[in-house]
Amino acid sequence: MTLVRKPRYILEDQCTGCTTCVEYCPVVYPDPFNQEISTNKAIHIYFAQAVPLITYIDESCLYLKEKKCGICEDVCENDAIDFNQTAEEVEVKVGAILLAPGFEPFDPKAGNHYGYGEMQNVVTSLDYERLMCATGPYEGEIRRASDKKHPQKIAWIQCVGSRQVNPPGGNSYCSAVCCTYTQKQVILTKDHNPDAECTVFHNDIRSHGKDFERFYQRAEELPGIRFIRSYVSIGKEIPESKNVTIRYATPDEGVKEEEFEMVVLSIGLNPPADAVRLAEELGIELNPHGFCEVNPKNPMETTKPGIFVSGAFQGPIDIPESVFSASGACSQCGELLDYRRGKLSRERIYPPERDVSGEEPRIGIFVCHCGANIGRIVDVPSVVEYAKTLPHVVYAQEQLFSCATNCAKEITDMTKEMGLNRVIIAACSPRTLGPLFQDTVREAGLNQYYLEMTNIREHCSWVHTMEKEDATEKARDLIRMSVARAAHLEPLQEIDLSVNPAALVVGAGVAGMTCALSIANQGHEVHLVERDHDLGGKARSIYQTLEGLDVQAYLRDLVHKVYQNPLIHVYTDATITDADGYVGNFATRVVSERGTTEIRHGATVLAVGADVYEPSEYLYGEDDRVMTLLQLEEQINRGSEKVTDAQGLVMIQCVGCRNEERNYCSRICCSESVKNALALKKINPEMDIYILYRDMRTYGFDEDYYREAADNGVKFIRYEPQDEPVVEAGESEEGRPVLKITTPDYILGKKVEIDADIVALAAALIPSAGSREVSQLFRVPLNPDGFFQEAHVKLRPVEFATDGVYLCGLAHYPKLLRETIEQAYGAASRVLTLLSHDAITASGSICEVDENVCIGCGQCVSTCAYGAVELHKTRQGKKAIVNPVLCKGDGLCTTKCPTRAIQLKHFTDDEIWAQIDAAVETAQIPSKI
Amino acid sequence: MESEPKGTQDQVHRSLADSIREGFEGNTFGDVMVVGGGISGVQASLDLAASGFKVYLVDKAPAIGGHMAQLDKTFPTNDCSI
Amino acid sequence: MCSGRVDLEYVLRAFSNGMDGVFIGGCRLNECNYITHGNYDALNMVLLCKRIMRHIGLDPERLKIAFMSSADGNLFAETMSAFGSTLKKLGPLGKAEGLDDEELKTRLAEITKLVPYIKLTKFEKLAARLENPEEYDQHFTQDEIERLFDEVVSFYIDPEKCQACLICARRCPVGAISGAKNQIHIIDQEICIKCGTCLEVCPEKFSAVVEISGESAPPPIPEEQRTIVR
Repeated sequence: MTLVRKPRYILEDQCTGCTTCVEYCPVVYPDPFNQEISTNKAIHIYFAQAVPLITYIDESCLYLKEKKCGICEDVCENDAIDFNQTAEEVEVKVGAILLAPGFEPFDPKAGNHYGYGEMQNVVTSLDYERLMCATGPYEGEIRRASDKKHPQKIAWIQCVGSRQVNPPGGNSYCSAVCCTYTQKQVILTKDHNPDAECTVFHNDIRSHGKDFERFYQRAEELPGIRFIRSYVSIGKEIPESKNVTIRYATPDEGVKEEEFEMVVLSIGLNPPADAVRLAEELGIELNPHGFCEVNPKNPMETTKPGIFVSGAFQGPIDIPESVFSASGACSQCGELLDYRRGKLSRERIYPPERDVSGEEPRIGIFVCHCGANIGRIVDVPSVVEYAKTLPHVVYAQEQLFSCATNCAKEITDMTKEMGLNRVIIAACSPRTLGPLFQDTVREAGLNQYYLEMTNIREHCSWVHTMEKEDATEKARDLIRMSVARAAHLEPLQEIDLSVNPAALVVGAGVAGMTCALSIANQGHEVHLVERDHDLGGKARSIYQTLEGLDVQAYLRDLVHKVYQNPLIHVYTDATITDADGYVGNFATRVVSERGTTEIRHGATVLAVGADVYEPSEYLYGEDDRVMTLLQLEEQINRGSEKVTDAQGLVMIQCVGCRNEERNYCSRICCSESVKNALALKKINPEMDIYILYRDMRTYGFDEDYYREAADNGVKFIRYEPQDEPVVEAGESEEGRPVLKITTPDYILGKKVEIDADIVALAAALIPSAGSREVSQLFRVPLNPDGFFQEAHVKLRPVEFATDGVYLCGLAHYPKLLRETIEQAYGAASRVLTLLSHDAITASGSICEVDENVCIGCGQCVSTCAYGAVELHKTRQGKKAIVNPVLCKGDGLCTTKCPTRAIQLKHFTDDEIWAQIDAAVETAQIPSKI
Repeated sequence: MESEPKGTQDQVHRSLADSIREGFEGNTFGDVMVVGGGISGVQASLDLAASGFKVYLVDKAPAIGGHMAQLDKTFPTNDCSI
Repeated sequence: MCSGRVDLEYVLRAFSNGMDGVFIGGCRLNECNYITHGNYDALNMVLLCKRIMRHIGLDPERLKIAFMSSADGNLFAETMSAFGSTLKKLGPLGKAEGLDDEELKTRLAEITKLVPYIKLTKFEKLAARLENPEEYDQHFTQDEIERLFDEVVSFYIDPEKCQACLICARRCPVGAISGAKNQIHIIDQEICIKCGTCLEVCPEKFSAVVEISGESAPPPIPEEQRTIVR
């Protein structure tokens, strides 16, 4: 592959991100990162938290255009500006390519949608996102363009550029994320301004994601919020106020026109701008919507072997799907390139650690100027002089940029030369560069826990720009406190834990099997445990996907591959009786048709699936013409004439969920209903099919099938939860025994009565009967709905907070087959990041118990969220003991312990007391309270 | 189930991998290129690197983060995006 | 380290050192990056400490907790400025409340001594999760705290019953119990942290340790009378 590296005009190793150059740069132009609402300079950092956090120079630069200016070159103290850089071609040889180019926000300007670009106070949702953000154009203040006032009355218009066939210019698919991001914006707007009035004009509300339903309710229940189901058009811009009017219709009041101070367009997701070029370049195909064409059996495979796709290039998806499809694609790269694994990485070697335990503290202090960031506010030289007077301090110096390579070397050299045994770096937040400086200290042969950082930038110079003297005083105080703490620091050992290379997968549905296969294909043994006698899980009762995949054939193939794989050991009719251990070293006891087996494994994947709710509503179980969607699908595929010859068939959505008891959406039922409706129409085009729904949630490309069903004569009638359909046995006008369904029709404004031969209920997916037990065995949490609670809903969707335990499939939340497959590969990838190491390192900053002082009260045990503390019996009674592998170092136990027996290392009472005491320069400090 | 004959490997998948490998004729292609440094590309790069591969992460912007970096908060927890 | 790591004793120590105010910053509630949610623990500690401050005559306004993320720079600045002016308005610690330095230090030292006892008796409330801000005010009531200090327990070894078996002396986590073989054991009330371990471990057949509530323990018997003659 040949890549073009665009010139940055900055020497990356020299630039420290001090932004002095940005201040002096004379070119001001609209900042694309802030949606061009605010301005930036020709030389700038892309955004405040950018990685890399260094500047670049863009095309607006005067020097690049006209060879004028060059001020930045003069002001840069590190000579990091290099105008001689040119675009450079880089050739890389790779074994696989993963495409994650994302999406392009829909541009409402192009089709002149809703006055965007013409009316100042019509903004897109992405513009609005920047307006709300603390790093945005008005530093987190929502202001409108026309008069910079805070808008009070704001309207959102949904589905801009989505779900749109007429007029052309939009996209027919649903962008899947806009409903919920709008709700988020509404909630955050109310946080900014509790008096704001927010109105959302929407079509169906699609809250199909995990916890989205509650989120929707949270937004809806806020005061001053209206959700109005209506198509809208922009009326006019009022010349004086620049307010914008919107025309909409309600069933009660008819067409209305209302004035708003700001209008936000909830824009959808377009394919990436350069998708066509990328596809041509790489020889992959695009689908009719311009997104990547994928294999229906495997949505991460493009049409070309070795090239994978993840994220929104697959189609409009939310962040968790982007994350697990990314991991999933990695797992497939891993299967392909397993033979090369680990051969390209290098290991770092540090000098041997010096034992300083017998020495008095010898503290060295390095005070950083951070260019002008600290140095311009804090009088660094005077701080250095002051530092030299503090107890135990044997050395102090200033540095221009402590993080620069040459300065880091200086720290290492001076530490050795002066025989320092504690190093204090007074610079920025340890969150940013703590690990780097730990490294620097290790290079000098010191234990890395002998490093102490004093934050004199974020906590000092940046917040006291107007008070130079006070800031200098504060820097002195902070350093004095650090010195006090540093004297107490202790060397800590990070523990290497061996990792058992095998994995345990609980549940052999599509999720479990796919995950097991991917792990096994990367050379690891997998123990696959299934409660049932047969493999396959819920997929055994599905025949086709909406895209037309033959699920039973797919499943047969999958089961075959699982049994064929010599690295996969299958246990059926299995029960887990015991689960013990921790990341890298689990031990699980399984009773199965093989007898009792004690399985040792390094990673655990929970893929226990879900169950289908058994309805008590709508005569289900009383009348055999009432069935669930799955039963309907089964009958269709069996060719049951009772179903295929039906004159009328009614499907009722949201049975057993989106209610008080199960306050979530089962996500897949709308698509499943549309699928079955289309299948029935194909067999019997004369059949009258009604789908009674609350919100049709055919998100993403499934929207096309929804439209197809409507075009094929399937009738969609909306109902509200307080006015549910009623199903009764009765007779048609011709005297045929039928089920009579009475339901309101809001368009007609009255109740309608439908005769049906079959009623199919979209019954909720509910957590598997065994999931609670499994959650207790493996000590992982469930969410309020009983599904597994992942570590982070967005960013860590396939793992638990407990290290080494992963999840995928329906046990996480209801999802479509393709999503299950992605998530299963995703979990496999996360497992591989663990299992491909021989050992893992646990932090040294964990809790430790002094048994002499422990009274065995057990408060630490009940406080620990990770189950890391246990009581064990000794001759002196019960004593607490910490499992260093499970401890995350939060230190909650420490504050609950009445006798100070349990201490968080690196943040011990002695260390922190010393720091608290040193905060007062002249206080009479008692040696011990 | 143990009685079922076991093949050596997943034939379909291996043959695909083999054909790609043969195309490279024994050279040392083992790196992966990730195109796009948004949340998906970043997650992928982290996973690949953590499981022992060398990764080239390519993005058209001067910093990684993609659109997610532009978002103020994320639903449904309203966590900070960055 | 989590905001929940901030110990009640740290706050008391800072006031003891003459600090006019203490601020604790934690992550936003319900936005824990882990499953810890220790900021709720920090909140409980602060609510309790404010009651204690009132008990000893300090203005509870001197202690503040706020929850914010690293992106909330402006909020942080506002919060700190507001807290700063609150403290300025209150004036220097102790003087504003009409307490002289010595008196204040003595009171703080007394409370600090009781921290282990407070942690033991109020453990459940300190580990609670207050989802609703309306619960904050009543989580610890002033009456409850006054009662806590009125009914402080002491442990006392009944010299008539003590058999000098050394079990309690060995198990005392702070070494407050003196005694030897055939020497009646004595609890040094200055060192005792009131954890009750001695009561728990004293063999039932002796039952020599007594829990006394609301009044101080009787003085120890003179040294010359401590030898047990069997």
